[in-house]
Amino acid sequence: MNKDLNIYVLIKQVPDTRSKAGVNADGTIDRAKAGKMLNPFDAFAMQAAIDAKAMGGPNSKITAVTMGPPPAIAILYQALEHGIDKACILSDRKLAASDTLATAYALSMTLEYVQAKDGPADLVFCGLQTTDGDTAQVGPEICERMDLTQITYCEGFEIRDNLVHARKVIEGGAMEVEADLPALITIANSYNRLEHKTFRGAKFVQEVKRNEAIQKQFVEIIDLADCKAEDSRCGLPGSPTIVSATWKIGTVGGSCKMHQGKSVEELVGEVVNINQETIKEFAKA
Amino acid sequence: MAKEVLVVAEQVDGIIANVTLELLGEGKKLAHKLDAPLSCFILGHNIDSQVDRVIAAGADKVYVADHPELAEYKTLPYRRVIIDEINTWSTPPHTMLMGSTTSGRDLAPRIAAYFETGLTADTIELDIGPYEHKAGVDKSKIGYFPECLYANRPSFGESLKARILGPWKDPQMATIRPGVFPLPEMVSKPRSEAAKIKNVEVKLEESDHRVRISKILREAGSKIDITEADVIIAGGFGLGSIEGFKLLQELANCFENSVVAASRKAVDLGWITYPYQVGQTGKTVRPKIYIACGISGALQHRVGMQKSDLIIAINKDPDAAIFSFAHHGIVGDLFHVIPEMISQIKASKKEPAFA
Repeated sequence: MNKDLNIYVLIKQVPDTRSKAGVNADGTIDRAKAGKMLNPFDAFAMQAAIDAKAMGGPNSKITAVTMGPPPAIAILYQALEHGIDKACILSDRKLAASDTLATAYALSMTLEYVQAKDGPADLVFCGLQTTDGDTAQVGPEICERMDLTQITYCEGFEIRDNLVHARKVIEGGAMEVEADLPALITIANSYNRLEHKTFRGAKFVQEVKRNEAIQKQFVEIIDLADCKAEDSRCGLPGSPTIVSATWKIGTVGGSCKMHQGKSVEELVGEVVNINQETIKEFAKA
Repeated sequence: MAKEVLVVAEQVDGIIANVTLELLGEGKKLAHKLDAPLSCFILGHNIDSQVDRVIAAGADKVYVADHPELAEYKTLPYRRVIIDEINTWSTPPHTMLMGSTTSGRDLAPRIAAYFETGLTADTIELDIGPYEHKAGVDKSKIGYFPECLYANRPSFGESLKARILGPWKDPQMATIRPGVFPLPEMVSKPRSEAAKIKNVEVKLEESDHRVRISKILREAGSKIDITEADVIIAGGFGLGSIEGFKLLQELANCFENSVVAASRKAVDLGWITYPYQVGQTGKTVRPKIYIACGISGALQHRVGMQKSDLIIAINKDPDAAIFSFAHHGIVGDLFHVIPEMISQIKASKKEPAFA
């Protein structure tokens, strides 16, 4: 029998690249106009947290933690709808332009803040990476700061006798490991898909949105001072890297032969004919 | 011991991975510009034979940590040995490069966080150059830095390339995906005249054994290697759902040595798994034929496939970026175009070769 597990899941709101909203004509993104969504990898991390809770003792609980501008609270409501118990957002203008090291610092200070109230973590789940930064660095950087056991690229796990038994992706295959708690686990997108919102969760969110007292209890909004984070280690001052230049990638410019405005049969016929030698070389007999 | 360019090697079953050799090839250019030695850190067990390979690839110095606990990559033991060694140096390396693999992406951020330094992920170009920081929120950053590591990578979802640098603290770190840089010419040299070799002391602590390997299943994923295929049929967000990949598979079935692959958006949405992903954060491929179906052609995808011999793009948006670098663009609904393509390719094979 496993003990009650105190579980945290770190999530992030990212620009929604599924729609064209906010994409400028020159291919750059207007982040203010772009739609927002839960980082797709974090949906897998949320499911992992929910699965872990089911493996723990009856008083196991999950707290979702995020960092971002106030509207990012939307993903915390989303988490509660899926059955996450509590949530906390770190929101502060001084966090703008944080790179991964500054982000990892701010999130670990937030985790320490919530741990002081809700007890030390047994498990911290993160998505493998975000779709806007793509670095996969923040999870391991938090491990380094907080000295948590690190398991990355996890695609399945069990908690037995208060140990994590996880399967993780490695180059050319997979590896099974046994690891001590407390652990931070980053979840790959080969993990189980996030289940539907629960009826109870949806009702709870309605109540939270209606009642300010309940909201304060279950969706906490904090700033850098609350979690005792040093300003100098956040945002631009706390980021060891900067973007010094960006430039547009030159297009090959007209070398693409376009086929359009005809029937599908004709369009495909043109392309297949022009390239028939190459196609025949590799087509199955 | 100032200003080294250090490549942390990756090995599987005691054999140095190609990505390490690629990084040594590129690292050599950086080392020349810095007038610094190129060094390589090898961790493993019974890996002495690999020292010659990294020397042949250009390493001027080799750090060797040979220990049974290092045979297979594990976060904490590898982290400990590398950090302990660098801490014995008078200054940390100027530049530190690692493969952007499952293990490199696990280890590099640990080292970066320990040294509280910058790390650029999935870099596509590296260089050394000057940078002047004039003004800003943080006055401590102001200054002129003649020798910075330039790490270029595509910015998120855009046709923009960004240069990321962080000259305020060494090591300046970057990870690079396998296949981004070419393999260097291997020139074997006798060890005596070739390079300095240092055997690194391995001292692990109890807390380094918090993760224990119970099983390694290398067979499981090794069958999937999209980089080996002659023909790649790749799908993106335009496929609309997981079902769209069945259609791509049908088209792939028309070819020998073919495989279905995907853009990152399709992988992020869980339509297909990561080993099939082409692009900056996936694999770099250069097949004979690449058919991109419903892929917009963001730079992140382009850098992983632009060297394919023949690129055919199918997209219903005539302004899609993919049409700026494909060889042939078909503007149309892929759910009509692909079935037609399947039937025409099948028909073309039925025609007698000499009519």
